[in-house]
This record gives sequence, C-alpha cells and structure tokens, in this order.
Amino acid sequence: MNHRGGWALIQNTWQSWLQHRGFFFLLAFGWMLPLLVYMLVWSAAAGDGSLGGFSQETLAGYYLMLILANQLTYPITNWTVGDNIRMGQINRWLIQPMSPLYHALSAEIAGKVVFMLFSIPVTGILALILQPEFDFSIVQVLLFLPALLLAWVLRFFWGYWLALLAFWATRADSLLALQDSFIFLLGGHVAPLHLLPDWLQPIARLLPFRYMSAFPVEILTGQLTSQETILGFIALIIWSITAIVLYRFVWRRGVRYYEAVGG
Amino acid sequence: MLRHFKLIGQFFKISVQAEMAYRANFFIRLLYSVLNLVTGLFSLMVIFNQVDTIKGWDLASALVLLGVYLLLGALRSLFIGPSLESVAGMDGEIWTGTFDFTLLRPVNKQFIISFRYWRLFALIDLIFALGVLVYAVVLMELPLSILTLVSFLVTLLAGILLLYAALLAFSALVFWNSGFLFTWVINDLFQLARYPVGIYPNWLRLILTWIIPVGLMTTIPAQALAHRLSPTMFILTIMFSLAAFIGASLLFRRGLQKYTSASS
Repeated sequence: MNHRGGWALIQNTWQSWLQHRGFFFLLAFGWMLPLLVYMLVWSAAAGDGSLGGFSQETLAGYYLMLILANQLTYPITNWTVGDNIRMGQINRWLIQPMSPLYHALSAEIAGKVVFMLFSIPVTGILALILQPEFDFSIVQVLLFLPALLLAWVLRFFWGYWLALLAFWATRADSLLALQDSFIFLLGGHVAPLHLLPDWLQPIARLLPFRYMSAFPVEILTGQLTSQETILGFIALIIWSITAIVLYRFVWRRGVRYYEAVGG
Repeated sequence: MLRHFKLIGQFFKISVQAEMAYRANFFIRLLYSVLNLVTGLFSLMVIFNQVDTIKGWDLASALVLLGVYLLLGALRSLFIGPSLESVAGMDGEIWTGTFDFTLLRPVNKQFIISFRYWRLFALIDLIFALGVLVYAVVLMELPLSILTLVSFLVTLLAGILLLYAALLAFSALVFWNSGFLFTWVINDLFQLARYPVGIYPNWLRLILTWIIPVGLMTTIPAQALAHRLSPTMFILTIMFSLAAFIGASLLFRRGLQKYTSASS
C-alpha cells in the first residue's frame, strides 16, 4: 500500500479546505447549536440547585466538551460516499495505487483541523461566559484520549458501512440521518445519559450510539466509576471491531457488485 | 391582487409536477419528517420526566410551543425556504447570474422570489404540527374561548411574518456578499425557537427577542394559547413584526439596486 501518496493527499485536501473555511465554520456553528440549546434547557431546569447530580456549572462543562468531542468524531465524509458511488467518481479511486480509504481519511483530517479552528475559540469564549466547572485528573485525561480516538473509529466505520450500502440502494444516505437521530436521542446529546428515564439508560449503554461521542466526555468530566469505565471500554472496543468487520464485508461485496457508471 | 393569487396557484402546480417526477422521495421525506417529530416529542419527554416545570412552562405548554415551532418550520420548508434559497442559497441565482431572467418577469420582484417554489412534501410536516397542537390543547384542559383562539391566530401570523422577514433580510444580504451562506445562519438560529425564550439567560433572551427575533416567533403564540400573554406584549409583537417586514422589504430593495449581474 502506498502511504506516501496517502500523506500527500491528506496535505492537499487540508490546504484546499482551509480556503473555503467560511463554509466549514458555518457547518460547525450549525452542529454546535442543538447542543447549546439543550445545555441551556437543562441549566434552566437545574436552576440554582442540582438535577440528577448535575449543577449548571457541571452541565456547562459536559456540554462544552461534548461540542468539541462531537465535532472531532463526526465523520462528514460518510455523506459523500453515496454520491461518489452513484456519480462514478469512485472509478478513479479504484484504479489509484492506494486504498480508497485514504480519500476519506484525508477529508476527515482536513475537516477536523478546519472545524477546530472555529470551535476551539468559540467554546473558549462560551466557557468564559458560562463559567463551567471541570475537575480533570491526569488519569481522566489519559483515558479520555484513547476513548476519543476509538469513538472516532467506531463512528467513522459505522457510518461508512451504512454509506457503502449505496452500492445497492441509491438513497442509502437516509440511513445516516437515522443514525444521527439515534446519536442525538440516545447518545448523550439531548440529555446526559444519567438524566434519561431509568428504563432507557441500560438500553442506551448497550447500543453503539453513546460510544460515538458522549462516552469519552463522561470519562473526562468524572461521571463514571472505574467499573463503569472498564465496561464502557469493553463495549466501545467490541462495537468498533464490529464496525470494521462490517465495513470490510460490505466493501468487498459492494466492489464486486459495482458496475461503473459513466465513461 | 387576484392575479397574484392565480400566479401562486400556477407556481404551486409547476412545483408539484416537478416533485411528482421523483415519487420515491416521498418515503425519504416521510422518514425525515417522522424523525423531526420524534426528536421533538422525545426530548420533551426526557426533560419533563426529570422536572415538572421549567421557569413556569409545563409539559402541555411546552408541547404547544413545539407545535408552533413545527408549524413554522413546515411553512418555511413549504415555500419560503425553497423560494428564497433558489435566489440566495448555494448556487443561487445571484451567485450564478441567472437572476437576470427573474428580474425580467413582469411582476413584483419580492413577490416572485418569495412564492415561486413549493415543496409539496412539507405538507406532511404541516399535518404533524397541527396534530401536536391539537394534542397539546387537549392536554392543557383549558377552556378555549374565541378570544384566545383569535389572539393565537393573530400572533401566529405575526410569527410567520417575522420568520419571513428574517429570512428575506438574510437573503438580501447576499447582494452585498454573494459567497456567504446567510440563509444557513438564520436556519441554524431558528433551532433556538424550539424552546421558550424565557428559559435562556437574560442576555440571550434580549437578543432573541429584539435583535434576531426567533424567540418571539414561537414563544408569543404559545403564550397566547395558554392565556399568558399580556395585552402590551400582544400589541408590541404585532407592531414589531410589521416593522420587521417593512424593514426587510426595504433592505431587499436596496440590495436589488446593488445587483450588477454575475455574467462576464
């Protein structure tokens, strides 16, 4: 496999995306808003007291970190996979001497850099206004980083195998919208997992959606006991492996099924 | 006036014919509409599972507000959104220069860019929104007088007018900078209207009431239906929405004079 070509592609994509930063800043702004809305709703509900163990300050800390974690793990490229298959763009990638995965990876890395250029300053300003309460320990940070990376792996490959269903069905991208809704409802966005109704919490812990962005933030903000952390990592690893296996399976079947479109 | 209504009928007919060519899209649209509805209901369920009221809003009145929010969203995607975005959005007419042809039409410019394109499938959202409203009113168990109903409908119209004015104003900004997606900004900010403006911190509430009035659009009609709107606020809202409409129209006219076409 040609890694040098892959790296050149990553640099190229990143530089070209930086030229269109206004567009990406707007996208980042749009993703941030729903989370901000629910942060403010829960803050109003908590008032000056606490709600399910959350105060206004800890809610602000959770949601501000979640805004960053959500953007770092959000795989924007999954949305274009279907178009590339339908329009035949994928033909060019298939004959290049490197894995087509590099095209997605280069866009992923470029995207993260551009989004963070917007989101880190904005969440910084919000932190000044909202005065969130953090108590990080070194251990929490050290556990947070691999959890975040794995969350990205899981979210990326889970979305990728869904998007690859475009080999068979033209509107497979509606499955991505469905996935986004599940992450929003059961993945700690609409409410931190502890604030969901009791009967729903075990279901949310079992499904993969919590592990796609909220789990690392729960570790970082100290919401989990060490047992919960270990169980969470086990679930995260199992779901990540499942996602990669599914991706490889669908990709092989899909490429064999695929007949090029266009000349 | 009659001619304008006939024109709207024609615009609608043409849009429907275009949409009917892609009938399978109906199911995709249905999925998105259901997701939108379920997300709204589910979040209220989660919140009011934890608390009984937030700053004086209980489940029933929050449901009214959700209904108004969904209704405005449905009207936006029925015609205001698609029409204005065809002018100002990505690859819009101002960007590509095809706006020249629109200007040549022998009809009021603001009229044609506001009513031209319709999205039939947004009617699904409209039905869902009305369903939520009816359910919320039943849940409130309040006697519905004619006066409440009238003040609800009047403030709802004011809300629609405000939404239209905000979208028109943000679209008109494209005349000054054709590359920036101003319509996206207002679409994003509209999400803040999902919850009563009173629950936000003071500084944000003031912005959302008087500067970018997304808060007024949904909160006021919901308050009207729950008998919680003061007469002063009622009159202020109507005057403010008329002022916003006139202001946005003037801004659009100013922008129109700046338009220099994009062709070489």
